[in-house]
Amino acid sequence: MPLPLVWLIKVVLIYGGLITVAAAMSLAERKVSAWIQWRVGPNRVGPWGLLQPVADGVKFIFKEELVPEGANQTLFRLAPILSAVPPMLAVAVIPFAGEVSIGGHVTTLSIADLDISTLYVVAIGGLGIYGVILGGWSSNSKYSLLGGLRASAQMVSYELSLLLSILVVVVLSGTLDLRQIVNDQAGPIFAWNIFALPVGPIAFLLFVIATFAETNRHPFDFAECEPELVGGFHTEYSSMKFALFFLGEYCAMTVMACLTTVFFLGGGNIPWWPDAPWLLELTCFLSKMGFFLFLFLWVRWTLPRFRFDQLMALGWKVMLPIAIANVFVTGALLSLGWFA
Amino acid sequence: MVIIKRKELSFIEKLYLPQIFQALSHSFRAMFQPRITRQYPEEPLPTNEVTRGQPRLTLLEDGEHLACVSCGLCEAACPAYAITIDGHETERFIEREPERFEIDMLRCILCGFCEEACPKDAIFMSDELELADFSRAALVYDIDKLKRPREELQGRIDYFYQVNDRWRTPSSTS
Amino acid sequence: MADTLFYILAAGTLACGMGVVTARMPLFSVLSLLGSLFCLSAIYLLSGFQFLAATQLLVYAGAIMVLFLFVIMLLNLGDEAELQGHLGFSLSGKKGLIAGATALSLGLVGVVGAGYSTPFVANPAYERGVDDLNALATVLFSRYALPFEAASLLLLATMIGVITLAKRQRTTDAGAHPQSAPPSTDGETAA
Repeated sequence: MPLPLVWLIKVVLIYGGLITVAAAMSLAERKVSAWIQWRVGPNRVGPWGLLQPVADGVKFIFKEELVPEGANQTLFRLAPILSAVPPMLAVAVIPFAGEVSIGGHVTTLSIADLDISTLYVVAIGGLGIYGVILGGWSSNSKYSLLGGLRASAQMVSYELSLLLSILVVVVLSGTLDLRQIVNDQAGPIFAWNIFALPVGPIAFLLFVIATFAETNRHPFDFAECEPELVGGFHTEYSSMKFALFFLGEYCAMTVMACLTTVFFLGGGNIPWWPDAPWLLELTCFLSKMGFFLFLFLWVRWTLPRFRFDQLMALGWKVMLPIAIANVFVTGALLSLGWFA
Repeated sequence: MVIIKRKELSFIEKLYLPQIFQALSHSFRAMFQPRITRQYPEEPLPTNEVTRGQPRLTLLEDGEHLACVSCGLCEAACPAYAITIDGHETERFIEREPERFEIDMLRCILCGFCEEACPKDAIFMSDELELADFSRAALVYDIDKLKRPREELQGRIDYFYQVNDRWRTPSSTS
Repeated sequence: MADTLFYILAAGTLACGMGVVTARMPLFSVLSLLGSLFCLSAIYLLSGFQFLAATQLLVYAGAIMVLFLFVIMLLNLGDEAELQGHLGFSLSGKKGLIAGATALSLGLVGVVGAGYSTPFVANPAYERGVDDLNALATVLFSRYALPFEAASLLLLATMIGVITLAKRQRTTDAGAHPQSAPPSTDGETAA
């Protein structure tokens, strides 16, 4: 089997998987919300409502596409794309499992292996904000504008804490390569970065909170805060443009769940079994990722929304100082040989 | 004026994390509670004789002719003007019957005044509640759609008399 | 292949740069700048500087340009940007002198510090390529530590200065009778 074909298989597998997960999330969101509220959730389309995403997709395609009067046409059309593409690009470097043999080629189960994949993920993932800002601005609606402004302020603020908690992991592992970070956590369960006492759990907590803010999810979903802003930055969007925003959001959530798994829960590593077969590793990775995806939904239907000033106060006055102190403590402990 | 002294939060309480985990466990447990959703078309609403559904016309014992004599009392009692009656004479012992009896179900408010107004036990509220069609004209029910054998409405009729008997008990003035 | 790509990217960079200057709407200027930064980081990538490319995206595209957009959206500058009113700041008098002198001296410290160190390319730490993060970090925090710190101090000073100016402007705006308020005596004038 020629090498390009192997690459193609990997690309199709991973991107197909990502889109499937995003579609499944749109169903899972409604199912989990229903379960938490003692309801049943969508169960009419297909068995247990499993075909609901397909029905939704068909509905989105047939909806009328509206461009509001006074909207900036170019940016209005560009924004959904800008919001959906970055998380899809970011998933390229996630190491889902160790080495796989496809058609005689031994290869790694990730689309690209970069030395600086951590930086790549963060840099590309940070671009998703442009879709939100431009969508909010170009709609020529005050609700959209406010949603976009809030989203941008929030994402810029929490990206700092996010980066600093990633920095702890990078310092612990001594590399920017996601695959190396995963390999570094092989072995017993205490090798996972979340158990790297005392800084690991703090970094994990900060990272998880920051991912909620980065993906504009509850309890920080000010970009689309319904009671105040109608639909936030996507108030004016309809049809597939709206669907693209949703796709972007779910893809971003998936990428963040993958990153949490990679950085803190040892990626596809199974504790005390360093050389497990790749299929088991993949299953392990996906179940960890699934837990964090579930956490997004679980938190959404549990906690009330913050107030915007509370959000900013939390980001700048609580999380950022703790994150900086955490990095300092990590550095100090590392130079003292604590993690040897 | 009441000055409320707020409780000083301890450090643990200020973290809010225990409360968050408590809330999360609460909502997680809610996922395994029994569902309260009714799967409507498969699980219909429970109805009994008290249910005041759409009005229906009763048939006589012969199962052919309506009990209605087209006196027009229900038409007059109807607050929504949903009932239209045209009567004509017959050769039978009961000399009148409706030629046309239409209830506009889009106007009907299911109040039950027709049932109370009827002197001939001809119209009763059934337990049928579902009302849907693709055109307005189809929702103006005629005699064919309205007539029911008396046995089908028997529960409601018994209940109706049971309620009305309260009024018929002799009072001190009669 | 690489040459063609480079020329395409270079042309893109230049075109976007032109767009920054010529765009009628400030928002499109910012977006052009963004495109220019993208092309630039692609050129870095083409030359093998992965770290530089990623950092460029992370810092400029991910954070700084977002703030630019943010400010422009807040000011709500339309087609005819009324920038005159917003550019009415000038420092003069003793304070300006002190600020300028401090900035100049910090810059000098940086330049002199950089001058004392051996030239960039001749460093043996770079035999393994400029993209080697360990080498980069080692050099940045040892040989070039002084310029690095001077630059960061300069940035910090800028930040504090901006905050001070913004705060002061707000207090004068909030005065009960702005027109009858006495002209400010501490050297800050509206040009």
